Amino acid sequence: MPSEIELLFTGLAAEADKFLFGTSTVAVVRAADQLIVFDTGPYAYRPILQGRLRRAGIDPGAVTKVVLSHLHWDNAANADLFENADILVHRDELNAAVSASGRDWAIPEYTVRALKRLRLRPIAGEADLASDIRMVELPGHTAGSIGLLVGRSLLAGDAVGSAREAVAGQIASCAAGAQVAAASLKKALAISDILYPGHDRPFRVAPPIAYICDYELRIRLFVDPSGQDEELHFGAAAAKSFATWPGN
Amino acid sequence: MRVDLLIPGLPAKADHFLFGICSLLLLRDGRRTILFDTGPFRVRAMLVEALAAHGLAPKDIDTVFLSHLHWDHIENIDLFRHADILVPRLEFEYAAAIRVSDWGTPPYVRQMLEGMRIELLDDREQEIFPGVQTLLLPGHSVGLQGLVVKAGQDDIVLASDALWSARDAVRGHPDVAFFDPEKGQASLARALAAGAIFYPGHDRPFTFENGRVAYLAQYSYQLRFSFQPDGPDIRTMISTEDRISSEDRPLASSRAGDI
Repeated sequence: MPSEIELLFTGLAAEADKFLFGTSTVAVVRAADQLIVFDTGPYAYRPILQGRLRRAGIDPGAVTKVVLSHLHWDNAANADLFENADILVHRDELNAAVSASGRDWAIPEYTVRALKRLRLRPIAGEADLASDIRMVELPGHTAGSIGLLVGRSLLAGDAVGSAREAVAGQIASCAAGAQVAAASLKKALAISDILYPGHDRPFRVAPPIAYICDYELRIRLFVDPSGQDEELHFGAAAAKSFATWPGN
Repeated sequence: MRVDLLIPGLPAKADHFLFGICSLLLLRDGRRTILFDTGPFRVRAMLVEALAAHGLAPKDIDTVFLSHLHWDHIENIDLFRHADILVPRLEFEYAAAIRVSDWGTPPYVRQMLEGMRIELLDDREQEIFPGVQTLLLPGHSVGLQGLVVKAGQDDIVLASDALWSARDAVRGHPDVAFFDPEKGQASLARALAAGAIFYPGHDRPFTFENGRVAYLAQYSYQLRFSFQPDGPDIRTMISTEDRISSEDRPLASSRAGDI
């Protein structure tokens, strides 16, 4: 049976003027004899992540591998939930994260100390995790950004942040070099039919190019201590395909 | 001791993440420069900017007071590795082995604080700086401590999450006293009796007289969502600035996006 991707968190392309959303994609890959978690989100996901794992019938102790696309605060904060898993991180990412001068500002200083309590496995180069699962190098967003190719579906991490970045051919946040990042984006699009971006819904790369799932977010504000909450509701339907695409 | 609001708490909840934007305060008396809580990572740049607006860089903070060790109060602690870090002793000891059901305290708190100058605050109320008294407010977490800053007639209560939002004061009941509800109830009453101006954990500062809340600060955030790579972004705003008091009618319930 081919391995399957199940989304636990659909990434959200949201920005605020003063704070960071950090609403990144978290997925689980079910393979024949492995259960792999791809990225773990920001700490702000924690109780919701635990609930979604429970609802998906996943015992965190049964997860065999956690692949961290990179070590930013919104990707690596919950790796400790998976106490029996090998934590796979690219060696270049770890090296950059512990270098005092070269550390990315979005990687808190304590990140690697926290990860070292776990079964941390630095990986150099690319690696096959199963016959149809391959860890691929996609540097640029950070020094050691990686993706996970499952069949022809790619969990891209922030090497492809959103469909908009795929369309633009360039990612906005490329601390490890714009050219390197653009090459990784091109590679990501070339090796996949369905792409799961770091901060957006998954979309089909092969025609017809379109998102493959819906998206919804609710925010409740306690604006009035003696009155009612205010609720903001955002959403978009999957069916709407997007027309603009290089060469379309 | 002068109290300045760096970032007001935001009383917001979303369905797929926690906001965790808590009140961050600056306390100064000409000798000490103290930061009250450090906030979640998502406000890191905002915190640095707010300090800069007071002519300060993170290195100018000589003391950090951590009310408790939940993620949203400590994620930026690594900006202040040079400072004295004041932590309630009960919180620090508990962090060595947290309850399985406690998702608020990172199991790796001790690694976050490793190598820092930690000063543990005993579980008693004491004056830690001239005119600044600790306040024991357990319940939200095992050993949360707040501060009372003496300011003549109107003492200032920095209650952190023992008083999550002004709604707790109106209802007389704490919203998130999940570690020990009974103690949380007592701590809410204790906080509300300790002064006249209140800084809640996740709301704006306010005064509370005869059951009425009067807010003392505003916030305003612009939000942008991009749902379609070839379409326009959806823009919206979370703002209190068009409200005069809590008696005003709230903004019409917003609904945005092409649902």
